[in-house]
Amino acid sequence: MKVLIVGGGSREHAITYAFAKSSYEPRIYAISPLRNPGIEKLCKESGGELIRGDILNPEKVSETAEKLGVDLVFIGPEEPLFHGVSDALEERGIPVIGLNSKASEIERSKAFMRRLMWKYKIPGRLRFKAFRSIEEAIAYINEYAESVAIKPARQVGGKGVKVISDVQAYLRKVKEEVKKKHTELIYEKFMRSHDDVVDKILIEEKVEGPEYTVQCFTDGKTVKPLPIVQDNKHAFEMEMGPETGGMGSISGRGGLLPFITEDEFKESVRIIEEVVKALRKETGTSFRGIISGQMMLTTLWGPTIIEFYSRLGDPEAVNVLPILKTDIVDISEAILSEKLHKIRIYFEDYATVVKAIAPRGYPNRKDLARGHVIRVNEEKIKRMGAEIFYGSVDIVNGKLITGGSRAVEIFAKGDSIEEAAEIAEKAVSYVESLDGWGLFHRSDIGSGVSLRRMIEMANLVRSVYSYRKSKGLFGKQIDWIPGRGKIGYEF
Amino acid sequence: MSGIIGIFAFDKVWKASRFIYYGLLALQHRGQETTGMAIGGETGINMYNGAGLVDQVYNENILEELNGWYGIGYVGALPRENQPSLVREGDNEVALVLSGRIFNEAELAREEQVKHWSNQSELLARLILKKSRGDDLKSAASEVMRMINGVYTFIAINNKEEMIVARDSTGLKPLVAGSFGFDYGVFASESCAMDVIGADYKADVNPGELYYLNQYTVERKQVLKPNPKYCAFEYVYLARPDSRINGVWVYEARRRIGEILAEKYSIDADVVTGIPETAIPFALSFSNKRGIPVELGFVATGRKTRTAIKPSQFERLVGVQLKLNPIKPVFRGKRVIIIDDSVVRGTTTKNTVTLLRNKIGAKEIHVLIGSPRLVSRCPYGIDVPSEDELIARHLNDDEVAKVVGADSFHWISLDDLVKAIGVPRNKLCLKCFGG
Ligand SMILES: Nc1ncnc2c1ncn2[C@@H]1O[C@H](COP(=O)(O)OP(=O)(O)O)[C@@H](O)[C@H]1O
Ligand SMILES: [Mg+2]
Repeated sequence: MKVLIVGGGSREHAITYAFAKSSYEPRIYAISPLRNPGIEKLCKESGGELIRGDILNPEKVSETAEKLGVDLVFIGPEEPLFHGVSDALEERGIPVIGLNSKASEIERSKAFMRRLMWKYKIPGRLRFKAFRSIEEAIAYINEYAESVAIKPARQVGGKGVKVISDVQAYLRKVKEEVKKKHTELIYEKFMRSHDDVVDKILIEEKVEGPEYTVQCFTDGKTVKPLPIVQDNKHAFEMEMGPETGGMGSISGRGGLLPFITEDEFKESVRIIEEVVKALRKETGTSFRGIISGQMMLTTLWGPTIIEFYSRLGDPEAVNVLPILKTDIVDISEAILSEKLHKIRIYFEDYATVVKAIAPRGYPNRKDLARGHVIRVNEEKIKRMGAEIFYGSVDIVNGKLITGGSRAVEIFAKGDSIEEAAEIAEKAVSYVESLDGWGLFHRSDIGSGVSLRRMIEMANLVRSVYSYRKSKGLFGKQIDWIPGRGKIGYEF
Repeated sequence: MSGIIGIFAFDKVWKASRFIYYGLLALQHRGQETTGMAIGGETGINMYNGAGLVDQVYNENILEELNGWYGIGYVGALPRENQPSLVREGDNEVALVLSGRIFNEAELAREEQVKHWSNQSELLARLILKKSRGDDLKSAASEVMRMINGVYTFIAINNKEEMIVARDSTGLKPLVAGSFGFDYGVFASESCAMDVIGADYKADVNPGELYYLNQYTVERKQVLKPNPKYCAFEYVYLARPDSRINGVWVYEARRRIGEILAEKYSIDADVVTGIPETAIPFALSFSNKRGIPVELGFVATGRKTRTAIKPSQFERLVGVQLKLNPIKPVFRGKRVIIIDDSVVRGTTTKNTVTLLRNKIGAKEIHVLIGSPRLVSRCPYGIDVPSEDELIARHLNDDEVAKVVGADSFHWISLDDLVKAIGVPRNKLCLKCFGG
């Protein structure tokens, strides 16, 4: 059996790792723009290889797959999905795990996602407005001073989002100015290069609460969740600093997190199921792959959608794939034959922690973060009981060179999140910068202090949304605007 | 006494000056004589300071002109203490705010051949500037931390888009860390400053810890071994009741003080009242515990100046007389318990008691104090008057009662204060209470 992995980051390393464990002993190939040493090694050991190539080119990827004669393609990142790589493979009759381009619109366009949730009245939705031009967006900001999240309306790889709580009247003016400038920045910096969507800027109501990701396998009909994971978006310690793709993530035993209840988990999966159903209806297609809800527990709804992924999360994939017990080939086959409802998926009962290590300069100055030599002591990391997953690195003349994004991710498991975090934290020291430029990671992820803060926040949110539910206020909001009167929002 | 704040935005669209301004307003109770801020941006560091209260010193234009996305701010209780200190050498600039006291000034100055400094914050700024030689602010700051003999918190910025934040090994002076979304990190003497600017409190800066921030990293380093000696007076008097310092809510400590007073002193009375503003939580919890009605007893006139941290004794007296006007029907013909936060000379207490008894006609007046006997000067810069001015040092409770004209007079005991704060005794500084 032959499989082809598309993509070359830590998430794809974890996917490769899962295939390398398969009892079918597939020969693994990977296609990636960079030479990821972890993926390359696993490919070689399986008798396959890593091929450098453009993963956004549907023709090239499907041609490669055909030439290799693979039985299965597993697509890791979202951009190949948006570009139609999955569609091209299906056209050639090659089995592929990865949503088709129409279905992956759920991730690519945040405006499409929000409209879909409203149209089908799916719980967990937020009020939003999408804008096609700077002028429209600015006119809106001028009129309403509110706590908002301002985002590029398209997925641009985990950046460009600004969340501004705006409740102190005396700071309103400064914040209004920043909202406007950021709107311009989104348009100029992030959206100019993406002319594949009409909506450019999304402004949605700001919510607050602990975040978590529910990743699911789907055959377009059934949704099967993986253990719930929490990613940490802030670049620096103590939840300070700019938004990143994720600096590390945790998962608890029993597939849950200490601050999310089983009911909340079930409700989250139910939301994803409804979205899958709506997406099938809306696109008129069947699709097979992954769908993940990036969620937040909010006072408005309890489980609430922040955004959708049409793939596994990075780093979230690295938490769950190493403890996956069910054979990934069997899962893939169930997805492809639309028999996902027939299988059970098992995981080892461990808590896991993933810590990303990035070169200084990430995320805002990738130009500075790129091109630095690092060294990894794999043996020491293994001896600690941890595993390394390579991300944005390349091998040049036998040296490990940073690509500008998160360079590696350390995985550790344990009986508790804190225990796993301790192991991961120790293992981090075996990744070194050799040119004095410096690397950073977050030591607070998975610590007792940080977990307690999450639990406290979740308890607060939970008591409010339970209260609202008991008062029949779920998904409702009543405002009063001077001159316009009482406005009730029925979600 | 002083309060400091530092803000560092990770996105240069932000203007730090307004956030610092409102943060300083929230810290105003820590110092009302001078204020200043230094803001770093594209044109280097710009500074403004002046004498007076925060809302008197700055105006729209000043804040507008202080352009930049990172900066520091200061409020202080000493008339001529102008901070931040901004020092330059060639192209390099460092601005620094200090809250605390350094004991080895001369030695520090010698080390880097600093010749002139107008105050301790300037000395530290010069030291850090010299040691960093234009770069490596972080190592310079850790070296300086190791050299200082003193208790302090300081925040410094340079014109290279960097900030450092330090707290000495005792943690005597409070300092907390927080953040606002993906946008900025903030450090302040008290968490109430975070609330006022809409940032989220995250944690206390550990005793002996250094934070280093630039656009690409936030690093924490335990430079000195922690040896906590948290200032107990913060909980009794100095900090705002809506702040949380060293992991303890100030209000909760004050509530427990009132409860303990209620348990210890079973005085019969018709009404209990607290001297505004600090002692009001004591009176509330005392009343809740004992079932004696609590009333609003006094109304303040003018600004909320704080009497114990006014620089001169004269001003202290004037400040109090202007401040507190008793509400007569609350006291007339009643047996009253009055709770105050501290007593220095006893003069104000005496004036109040005399007024209540002779002019208003209170039947009985019992005075309870939410702090233990104040017997010693603070070696760390809290402006407690000199020792021969401290009544508790010279008289016992009965004698004090006679002097001020009260039917009874009691302080909370030192042990009870420690219990109320809820921090182990060996982690508290109790020097001013003779501990
Ligand atoms: N409506 C919102 N309210 C509060 N925070 C939000 C909101 N939307 C996004 N965020 C915050 O911003 C982060 C990034 O937003 P997201 O929509 O996931 O964009 P990205 O594609 O950059 O990941 C989220 O993880 C969350 O922390
Ligand atoms: Mg996201």
